[in-house]
Amino acid sequence: MKGKGALWTIFFAVIALALVFVFAGSGLNFEYIIPKRLIRLAAIIVGGICVALSSIIFQTLVNNRILTPAIMGYEAVYLMWQSMLLLVLGTQGLVTIGSGGNFFISSILVLLYSWVIHRWLLGNGNNDVYRLLLVGLVLTMVISTLTQFVQLRISPGEFAVFQGLSYASFNRAQPATLLYSLVALTGVCVVGRKYLPELDVLALGRDQAMSLGVNHSKLVGLYLALIAILVAVSTSLIGPTAFLGIFVANIAYALTASRRHRLTLPTGCAIAIAIFLVAQFLVEHVFNYKTTVSILVNLVCGAYFLLLTVRVRGTL
Amino acid sequence: MITVQNLSKAYGTKTVLSAVSAGFPPGCVTSVIGPNGAGKSTLLMLMARLSEPSSGDIFFDGKPVKGIPTSEYAKRVATLRQSSDFNMRLTVGELVAFGRFPYSRGVINDNDRRVIDESIEFLSLEPLRNAYIDEISGGQRQMAFLAMTIAQQTPVLLLDEPLNNLDMKHAVQIMHALRRLCDEQGRTVVLVIHDINFAANYSDHILALKGGQIRFNGPSGETITEALLHDLYDLDFEILSSERGCVCDYFTPRSGV
Repeated sequence: MKGKGALWTIFFAVIALALVFVFAGSGLNFEYIIPKRLIRLAAIIVGGICVALSSIIFQTLVNNRILTPAIMGYEAVYLMWQSMLLLVLGTQGLVTIGSGGNFFISSILVLLYSWVIHRWLLGNGNNDVYRLLLVGLVLTMVISTLTQFVQLRISPGEFAVFQGLSYASFNRAQPATLLYSLVALTGVCVVGRKYLPELDVLALGRDQAMSLGVNHSKLVGLYLALIAILVAVSTSLIGPTAFLGIFVANIAYALTASRRHRLTLPTGCAIAIAIFLVAQFLVEHVFNYKTTVSILVNLVCGAYFLLLTVRVRGTL
Repeated sequence: MITVQNLSKAYGTKTVLSAVSAGFPPGCVTSVIGPNGAGKSTLLMLMARLSEPSSGDIFFDGKPVKGIPTSEYAKRVATLRQSSDFNMRLTVGELVAFGRFPYSRGVINDNDRRVIDESIEFLSLEPLRNAYIDEISGGQRQMAFLAMTIAQQTPVLLLDEPLNNLDMKHAVQIMHALRRLCDEQGRTVVLVIHDINFAANYSDHILALKGGQIRFNGPSGETITEALLHDLYDLDFEILSSERGCVCDYFTPRSGV
């Protein structure tokens, strides 16, 4: 299963999984059950694409296969905002703002945060990606500590709400927020697609990329901005996915046996959607919401990834 | 073809290159030599536009290179740095194909395929074409990177210490290939090199730097002399000539270092 073959196999698997997810045990109830499931399906597709694209592109930019954009502190900002919201306004505040409002404010906060650190660290021609990673990591820790501090101040009831928000979940998405996410995602794809060939060259490193005529600092800046949008959308829509992207990206590299983004990006998207579909299906039908998607995904993906490493050793 | 004028580069308050002006004769191999910290690599990186000069200009065919877009410059000047350790899994053939990027943006046509084949053939890399670059030796990897640079089909090639960590055979292969690029294809090759014997035997022109300034600059026949090399390296040189070329012997100084 290599290259294009892998892509088609996963593609059809995703369609089959989606059909099972929407229709299994629905009694073909088109008034309530199926529309609700379609919304969750849409959230899974949009979230999966965001996670896969952002992780794979991020790994290319920093030339590292064990990082995801979470290291930049985007998700920490989201969690701090949620905990502050609960501290200041309480659970009532969440209701007042509404899920649409919360989606917008958290997206904008994540984007604002990324804009500030990009301006600060990548301004005037400086493109030291490692410095960016270091500062991102430190900020993640600082912000997470602040969030923990806030958590100690909120009531147990509010804490339970906060915990719910800190896991990835597809039940939160609303048709309106989905629509906005879709618009943002389409925009990112249109812009990103234009420089898709350059992404392969960026993976060769700064000097080699520049020698091959790629404007490295401009493209890194552009792609980091696109990643920030993707992460803002996925975090606000389905919650933090932390290091899920690592599994998605590395399984995509293993299955395609390639680092060509033309192959790895669509494969990664399909894998992310497939994983989310399976996890959500299990949560709904097997575990009856007694566990979360994040826990299942980490468990299943971790095991699968280890299996892949053992079986196809040397091709990773 | 490519000339630099009053080129200076400072990192913070430390000046590594000060007011260097030089031309690089077209169709020749020019070796940039000098002790560590002389500014050789800095000069090459400035010419490759991998870093910005603090002051001064670089001209390509009389035009300042600042005005040439990066994507166009890649069709005129190709640069090879010491092979970086990137963790991509690529075959030699795929790596060489990257050399066509300035022309093809990743969509390889028949002409690109022909150039890729020629570059691989030029360095006799056919047996390694489908080998992964993380599974071949350092010398073979350097040859693969050189093939990519050749496939870029630029009139000027800049190489930063291409012989680093190579055994004698690979070093000779690389230098021989560079010589042929000049003689057979009329390309201009500029390389930073530490091995004075390779520089003396394979290059047409020598540019010597020390302390960020040019110490001497001229055809290798005139510049490879005991006096000039002693002045450059503070070492006691003895130049032995034979039919096959010359050997600069500095290994056992007569008067101590």
